[in-house]
Amino acid sequence: MTWSGKEVRQQFPILQQKINGKRLIYLDSAASAQKPQVVIDALSSVYSTNYANIHRGIYRLAEEATRQYEAARAKIAKFINAASTDEVIFVRNATEGLNLVVYSWGRSNVGAGERIIVTELEHHSNLVPWQWLAQEQDAELSFIPVTGAGELDLAALPPLLADGRAKVLALSMMSNVLGTIPDLAEIIHLAHAAGVVVVLDGAQAVPHLPVDVQSLDADFMAFSGHKLGGPGIGALWGRRALLAAMPPFLFGGDMILSVRKERSTWNELPYKFEAGTPAIAEAIALGAAIDFLTELGMENVRQHELQLVTYALAELSAVPGLHLLGPAAEKHGGAVAFWFEDIHPHDIAAILDEEGICVRAGQHCAAPLHRRFGIPASTRASYYVYNSNEDTDALVAGLHKVIKLLRR
Amino acid sequence: MSNLYREELLEHYHDPLNYGVIEDAEVDINRDNPTCGDTIHLTARLDEDDRIAEVKFEGQGCVVSMAAASLLTAEVVGKSPEEIAALGLRDIEELLGGMRLSMGRVKCALLALTALQKGLEEAGR
Ligand SMILES: Cc1ncc(COP(=O)(O)O)c(C=O)c1O
Repeated sequence: MTWSGKEVRQQFPILQQKINGKRLIYLDSAASAQKPQVVIDALSSVYSTNYANIHRGIYRLAEEATRQYEAARAKIAKFINAASTDEVIFVRNATEGLNLVVYSWGRSNVGAGERIIVTELEHHSNLVPWQWLAQEQDAELSFIPVTGAGELDLAALPPLLADGRAKVLALSMMSNVLGTIPDLAEIIHLAHAAGVVVVLDGAQAVPHLPVDVQSLDADFMAFSGHKLGGPGIGALWGRRALLAAMPPFLFGGDMILSVRKERSTWNELPYKFEAGTPAIAEAIALGAAIDFLTELGMENVRQHELQLVTYALAELSAVPGLHLLGPAAEKHGGAVAFWFEDIHPHDIAAILDEEGICVRAGQHCAAPLHRRFGIPASTRASYYVYNSNEDTDALVAGLHKVIKLLRR
Repeated sequence: MSNLYREELLEHYHDPLNYGVIEDAEVDINRDNPTCGDTIHLTARLDEDDRIAEVKFEGQGCVVSMAAASLLTAEVVGKSPEEIAALGLRDIEELLGGMRLSMGRVKCALLALTALQKGLEEAGR
């Protein structure tokens, strides 16, 4: 089943407004998604009916807040098919989830001379923490290259796994620039055969694709709730045995079992990794966002976006001088990036803004990837459940205006 | 923005003043804006009173950064390093025709000016 995007759009209050008298066309969901009414209501309902700190109070409000917070955790676990709810840790965002893995697992498991493998298409948040770990531990950082077609060059992986030095492979499940959806089953199979732990950056995949961490056979996966229509909160999933063996990342209240003057012991999972008061209402509202997506059906979300991206790639490729980045639609998620030799992305975004169209201009936190393609920056239109082909038509019309104004 | 893309600024963008490199210049600096990938290579010559005699630039960027660089190269001739150090966003906005730039474009507008200021500093002026 797919939908036109219009009925779904109705459920997002922010999209009902006009910019310069024009319909607001939001094509920057890869940066952050807009929120459906049910999420806004969930946030407001927590604060107006049952807000209190969790895991602490004996009174009814606190118990209800705790119950709802834990129910949200269970929704996430089900959404990504985690083997158990206590494998899900609330964090601020995907970035924090990845840093948690690097600090806690990485520092105790990656040693001098060992190898960390990442890819050339990573977002800075799944690259810079690993760079730091490599420097800190005197480990080696190796890259799976990206082909000209925007896919991972998997021929490069077996040699990186062959000498037994590789400890971890960290990669994105969907590129936020190229849209590339790598062949994860194959990659994880190869990595595990070499005893390598696989850390997935699910920031783009979890909002847009059905994700099942068990059938993927992954070890860790981080994602951001704000990119799937929830508030500013994220989650890290990890295999129980790995999480259980890891030292805490942050120390303080809630993450302890007992505290003496000189030393303490750690709480059980997942609380060991949730020091301090978490984003309670945000967690509960993330649960509402997941309900919203579950009702649409993640397979339907993918089909809807596949249709949008197929149309967008075809229409954009007809714009004179426009170069598309990334693979064909079947392997391409909701992010569509492009560039012109003669027109700067900032100018494109500024002129499109006059038309009520929101796109992203720049390097999208992926500088090495832009360097790989030899371009200083790109423009990105990214799609979600509320977009329709009309949005692409408006984008293409806007690009023709840009060309008329700026091309000589 | 309509203001930003008016003909006069587009002229500077398509056909900038003082585009190029001064060989063996006292000031010779490369700067970039990591968020949008804009780059500038700016060179400047000083006269015997240590005032700017000539500035040239080359680089890649949007209309705002290119037009601001073009206008700046003409504006600063005859100014002392102290006068240049005192220039700021407001002055660039004036040069661009008196508009107020949105937050996202401020770095673009200041790319050439900060390059010149840093370049003078590095040259010990
Ligand atoms: C692929 C990818 N990884 C990680 C992130 C980081 O997400 P956040 O900024 O929510 O931590 C993003 C979002 O910008 C992303 O697109």
